[in-house]
Amino acid sequence: MTLVAPTARLVDAATGAVLAGAELSAEVARHAAGYTDAPAGVVFARSALTTASVLRYAGAFRAGRPVALLDPALAPAVLADFVTRFEPAVVVGVGEGGAGAELCELPKGYDDTEHPVLGRCWVRRTAPAALPHPDLAVLLATSGSTGDPKFVRLSRAAVLANAHAIGDALALGPDEIAPTSLPLFYSYGMSVVNSHLAAGATLLVVDGGVLAKEFWQAVDAHQATSLAGVPYNYEMLHRIRWRPGRHPSLRTLTQAGGRLRDELILHFHEQISASGGRFHVMWGCTEAAPRMSTLPADGLPGSVGSVGPALPGGAFTVLADDGTESADPHVTGELVYRGPNVMMGYATAVADTARGDDQAGALRTGDLGYLDERGFVWLKGRLKRFGKIFGIRVNLHDIEDLVRADGPAVAVSGPDRVVVFVVGIDAEAAQALAGRLSERLRVHRTGFDVRPVDALPQLPNGKIDYRALEALA
Amino acid sequence: MPLTERLRTVFADALQLPPGTDVDQLKYRDIEQWDSLGHMTLVAAIEDEFGVQLDTDQVIDLSSFKVAADMLRDAGVDE
Repeated sequence: MTLVAPTARLVDAATGAVLAGAELSAEVARHAAGYTDAPAGVVFARSALTTASVLRYAGAFRAGRPVALLDPALAPAVLADFVTRFEPAVVVGVGEGGAGAELCELPKGYDDTEHPVLGRCWVRRTAPAALPHPDLAVLLATSGSTGDPKFVRLSRAAVLANAHAIGDALALGPDEIAPTSLPLFYSYGMSVVNSHLAAGATLLVVDGGVLAKEFWQAVDAHQATSLAGVPYNYEMLHRIRWRPGRHPSLRTLTQAGGRLRDELILHFHEQISASGGRFHVMWGCTEAAPRMSTLPADGLPGSVGSVGPALPGGAFTVLADDGTESADPHVTGELVYRGPNVMMGYATAVADTARGDDQAGALRTGDLGYLDERGFVWLKGRLKRFGKIFGIRVNLHDIEDLVRADGPAVAVSGPDRVVVFVVGIDAEAAQALAGRLSERLRVHRTGFDVRPVDALPQLPNGKIDYRALEALA
Repeated sequence: MPLTERLRTVFADALQLPPGTDVDQLKYRDIEQWDSLGHMTLVAAIEDEFGVQLDTDQVIDLSSFKVAADMLRDAGVDE
């Protein structure tokens, strides 16, 4: 299995350039060969939504070089810290720009060079402390709070298995044309790239996202057939009264990255169905490369609220409170996923990249839920306390630690934001606190709603009543 | 207050621009503050300030300060 099937195409919306078939394959091979000049070790790829970024990624994958896909807007200190901890052989995409893009200073022990194929690179002079495991293919930063930045280690087999399983679940074929509506360094965005290239379909490389004029111009000019979005994207599109019918080539809408309101799932399902298309609700996490389940289009409207059955090749069980694990229907507990796409494990430093498989194909998702008689998953919230803001996972416990100085506080997950209740805080301090959280966690400040409360509600046993606060959020 | 002056204030407030920003030259996604979230805030602020409702095309077309000013002139907002 290869990542780029023979009929795959890359279309660059900005220039209109098309790379298809043998030409695309040769271009990927040329990028793969480019990495032979770099010393051994992992590749760091600052990846904006550009054709060059896609080729550097696909080239590294073909060359068997583990590649970490990184946000070009990563804070300089975070990038510098990643370089120190992971000792990458080469940092590519040094010249990648875009809104908010920032570079750290050239790290010690690296040369700033211009490679004829890979572009501007930082190349390491010495070997890293450990060489990566031969199965390791992709590293993705967990979208978590900045308190504990780490990578998810994905094997080559896991990435390929997931790309093909998504293709099967969504019936992707060479006629599909997917625009890059999500960042490449985000696991969902990466999976759109992987699944379409593996299915021999077309990837329309376009920057800007769903509120940019250029994005929709590209969708129309190149007759894009699908759109991938997180709940926040669909909320925005709904607010501006966007309808899929504006772009008649669109046949498939997919949604993952958190829970979208049932009302909006049904709204977009009805609209896309009216033009003969389909809406797919999906569930995944970076640790599963990332897709775990997909609700078949005919699951709507009847099974609205479910994220569907496991992808082909995967399976769910439920780990109940008493420690028993089963696939019995209607038992609520922590969902456990097993499949060929489960990560090898995490990495917090270069030594971890040498590790083999720590997971044995099993992943405790940290999500509560149950299975129905058909094996469809119904989610019931997080086991551990995480929130999702615009598809980015934040640890609520970490947020509480960050705001503790301002008074007793509880953070709960609201619709696409985190609501922080702080005892006795005044309006001005609340504003300032939202700003600080936004800066610290690198999430837009409207993702934080800091509210004063007189006291935190308590349960009879004296514990904080999170449910009551969640109801307020 | 002239339209462009009012619009500058709306941009500066909605996008929380640092003082001294050259508002007239701003384009969508040129600066970190004018991302998709900033855009939604900006659209709501423009609608409030000028008493207009922007349709889907206008929200998507509103890609620069200049476009916004022209859009409001076309909508009949007094100079």
